Amino acid sequence: MSTAMNRRAVLKAGAAFAGTAALAPTTLRAERAAINYWHTFTGQLEFGALTNTVMPMFAKAHPEVSLEQEPIPNSEFMAKMTAAVVSDSKPDTSMLASERFADLHAMGALTDITDRVESWERRGDFDDSRFASVTDSEGRIYGVPAFAFVDWMYYRKDWFEEAGIAPPTTMEEMRAAAIALTDPAKGRYGFGMRGAAGGQHYIGNILESFGSPVQRADGSVGLDRDKAIEAMDWYAGLYTRDKVAPESAPNDGFRQIMEAFKTGQTAMLWHHTGSLRSISEHLELGEEFATLPMPAGPAARVARLGYASHAITNERNADTAWEWLKFWGEPDVAVAFLDATGYFPASTAAANDERIVSNPIYAPAVETLGFGVPHPSFPGYAGWSENVALAAFQQILIGSATAEQAVDEMIAELDRAIN
Amino acid sequence: MEFSSRIDLDRRSGGRWAALNPLTWLGELSETRYWMYLLLLPSAAMLVAVVLYPTLYGFDLSFRQYRLTRPDLGTGYVGLMHYKRILTDAVFWLSLYNTMIWVTLSIVLEFLLGLLAALALHRNLPGTRVFAVMILLPFFLPNVVAGHMWSLMLDSRMGVINDVLVNIGLLDSYKAWFVSPVTAMGTAIIVEAWHSFPFFTLLILAGLKGIPQDLYKAAQIDGASGFSQLRLITLPMLKTVIAAAVILRVIGLVNSPDLLLILTGGGPGRSTQVLSLYAFQTAYRDFNFGYGGALAVVMFLILMIFAWAYIRISKVNRD
Amino acid sequence: MANIASHARSKRIMDGLSYLLLVTLSFICIFPILWTFLTSLKLEEDIVTSTLQYIPRRITFDNYVTLWQQSSYPKLVLNSLIVTTTTIGICLLTGTIAAYAFARFEFRGRTQLMLAYLVVRMFPAVMMIIPLFVVMRSIGLLDSTIGLAVAYTSFLLPLFVWMLKGFFDAAPKELESAARIDGATRLVAMIRIVIPIARNGLLATCVFVAIAAWNEFLFALMLTTSQGSRTWPVGLHLMVGEFQLPWGMLAAGGIISILPVIVLFALVQRAMVSGLTAGAVKG
Repeated sequence: MSTAMNRRAVLKAGAAFAGTAALAPTTLRAERAAINYWHTFTGQLEFGALTNTVMPMFAKAHPEVSLEQEPIPNSEFMAKMTAAVVSDSKPDTSMLASERFADLHAMGALTDITDRVESWERRGDFDDSRFASVTDSEGRIYGVPAFAFVDWMYYRKDWFEEAGIAPPTTMEEMRAAAIALTDPAKGRYGFGMRGAAGGQHYIGNILESFGSPVQRADGSVGLDRDKAIEAMDWYAGLYTRDKVAPESAPNDGFRQIMEAFKTGQTAMLWHHTGSLRSISEHLELGEEFATLPMPAGPAARVARLGYASHAITNERNADTAWEWLKFWGEPDVAVAFLDATGYFPASTAAANDERIVSNPIYAPAVETLGFGVPHPSFPGYAGWSENVALAAFQQILIGSATAEQAVDEMIAELDRAIN
Repeated sequence: MEFSSRIDLDRRSGGRWAALNPLTWLGELSETRYWMYLLLLPSAAMLVAVVLYPTLYGFDLSFRQYRLTRPDLGTGYVGLMHYKRILTDAVFWLSLYNTMIWVTLSIVLEFLLGLLAALALHRNLPGTRVFAVMILLPFFLPNVVAGHMWSLMLDSRMGVINDVLVNIGLLDSYKAWFVSPVTAMGTAIIVEAWHSFPFFTLLILAGLKGIPQDLYKAAQIDGASGFSQLRLITLPMLKTVIAAAVILRVIGLVNSPDLLLILTGGGPGRSTQVLSLYAFQTAYRDFNFGYGGALAVVMFLILMIFAWAYIRISKVNRD
Repeated sequence: MANIASHARSKRIMDGLSYLLLVTLSFICIFPILWTFLTSLKLEEDIVTSTLQYIPRRITFDNYVTLWQQSSYPKLVLNSLIVTTTTIGICLLTGTIAAYAFARFEFRGRTQLMLAYLVVRMFPAVMMIIPLFVVMRSIGLLDSTIGLAVAYTSFLLPLFVWMLKGFFDAAPKELESAARIDGATRLVAMIRIVIPIARNGLLATCVFVAIAAWNEFLFALMLTTSQGSRTWPVGLHLMVGEFQLPWGMLAAGGIISILPVIVLFALVQRAMVSGLTAGAVKG
């Protein structure tokens, strides 16, 4: 990046001198070929896959482009992007998680690439629905999906067999199984609830499962108070009444729920397909643990299909950045990336690859692709769900608010977030 | 050292270059009545250059509508709208309350530990140097690292602290420290105190070294006990050092959300939500820069009032 | 006589109590760091386990090796060093004389100015970042070590001035007066008398500013974007990612992040403790 910046600085200075015209063409070519790319591949596995698998492949296919990758942790991504937008120093291209689309689009961080996508030779490889999460209300497209995060459930197959319980398909069955498998004396809990950072994701799921989606099918936003109360009461009740979640649940984030499951302290866990590999390193896949689609709630069966797309975030090198966006759609790249990380390809063509379809462990994910729904997508949702919904839910968990009070706060703040 | 050799050189060369020597003309300048202002000029210029614009910008924001994700609302002035909202914002008042508890208890604990450690180190017993290094070590750990290491040690599943407490019989079973509001705040304060009390130790220690020993000798001859020596000599002599340390720490604690962000993220249920965290979330999670700016201005004013009152009360400025 | 005996006895008691306190505090301070070190030598499956191991049964240095390979540690540390020394340099050059002025002169607006220096520190970093970002960008210092050091002075220079003023206050004024009577200019008195007397305070102040600059995170995260200027805490945090870095590597990162600081401190500490007791203050 710094060399690229210098080159740009040199170029700007050079442009001021008409006499250096002879030099300009070479500088220009170098300029066009250098792009920077922001991403959130900060986990060991994915970062390695990017730098050791995808980037070398890209370098081979596009030797004229020098790609400068910049890892940015998820927790700081929006802060850095915000600063870059305000000060007009955005990167050339960036990863675009579907949950962030609404906010980034609203702040004008993304470049319209509708024409490029429509004339792309691989457009046919992608189901139309794949682009839904990066398309605005006027039908303009802003990203190319690279891979998917499919919500599903991990469960302790051996414990279920030992207790003679069938794997749950509904939330009530799940609750019953959790109660049966909870044995604090053995240090076992039925459900690894994510009550801290990241837990807002499942709050959104539960609300929708009980018939109170934050964003309705027609795009309108708002909660159904009674159903939302029922949802929060049921979900928090797993911890407060049924006591099937570890005591630490209100402070359990990604790391804690994973460690509890890996060390045999919880029987069921909600997460996406991306953590299959790391769990397999601790527990035996197919013997000790297996995977299931998300259980159905009283009103709906909700599992999110989140896509990580790539977007052009700066016009200056749009042509070069487009090469990078497209590259992730190559089936070879997508499957190599899946091999390295376990992330599902977004390309429909790649997802139908024999290696995925024939693997029984992936069957629940393939099933989920059929009924999965996108994340709510409107400006303010991410902030509301993290700052308001999660905090309100935690208050029910620790007993400082009732489900009614928590939902009333969610409704009031949601109203403020969108108006 | 350099300076003194230059002065010697100067004298030897018979002052021929005296007129050009900065020590000479600056020395003359130093006798003028503007000298102190000249001494202040470089640092003041530096601060104005770096701070003035960002600060004014922040104040300006607090009177504007500025929601990054709502360009349709524009960025016009909205007067005191954000400030009016603060008055009725329950989260703000909760954060203010939490901030006061967080800051007060942390400072008290840090000061007491820091003072005790400094007094003990100041006795210059054999081995002091080793103890000093060990005691000052926590402060050197970046917040990021300290926060994560403590969260590992306090973990409710594999935390060594739980294991030790269970083994010595203080706990029946592993405890999830960050789950109840009281233990979450209490634990965070202990971690903060662990991390920052060396700040007080080092400052007070350096201050102690500056107190002339004669004072203590005189007091001993008068038969003053150790405690009254502390009360009558040590603490008064350290007044400015302590006052400066307290103010600086308070500002640091109020303004920096790092440690709480890692340990609790403000939870559970906002029970460790402090103002700095709230302002950060408002600006970078809700992208509401106007309201975030107003929160920052209010924090700033609270700190100003505190500093003003504290300086008045502790009379730092009267020698 | 009895008085002296009781003094000796109470001194012994105080010494004993001091030792007790020092040992306890040292243990409390060292334990987490020791635990971090032990953790850094463990295999991940010995850390994430339901049976705690105090002394690792198996020892590995893989965490350090991987960290070294992945993090470009030398570059990050070099950047941190540049930022830290530049910050210290700016503070020493501009801050020392300011602290001296505040400590030694009565002048109009002194209290207000001192407060102004403090006020500068009070504006929350959260809100300073974006405008600072814009400023740095317009003067071409965005994503540079110098720019970062300049940003640090916004809150470290006031810290420096305030801390050092306390030490100048504590330094006796008699020597300075004597030098002035001997005909030394204010400048000479400051450079040759006052600053040497307060050198221990100066050292302590520099150490704090250095540590603060070394460990600073928020500004470094927001104002740098590339390897070329990224500092160590940010580099480490990027590896921690969304808490996905294995504990062992995180611990290894913690240990190697304090090594340079410990080395620096060990050097300075000698001068600080021994120099202080024998130093000019007594004169």
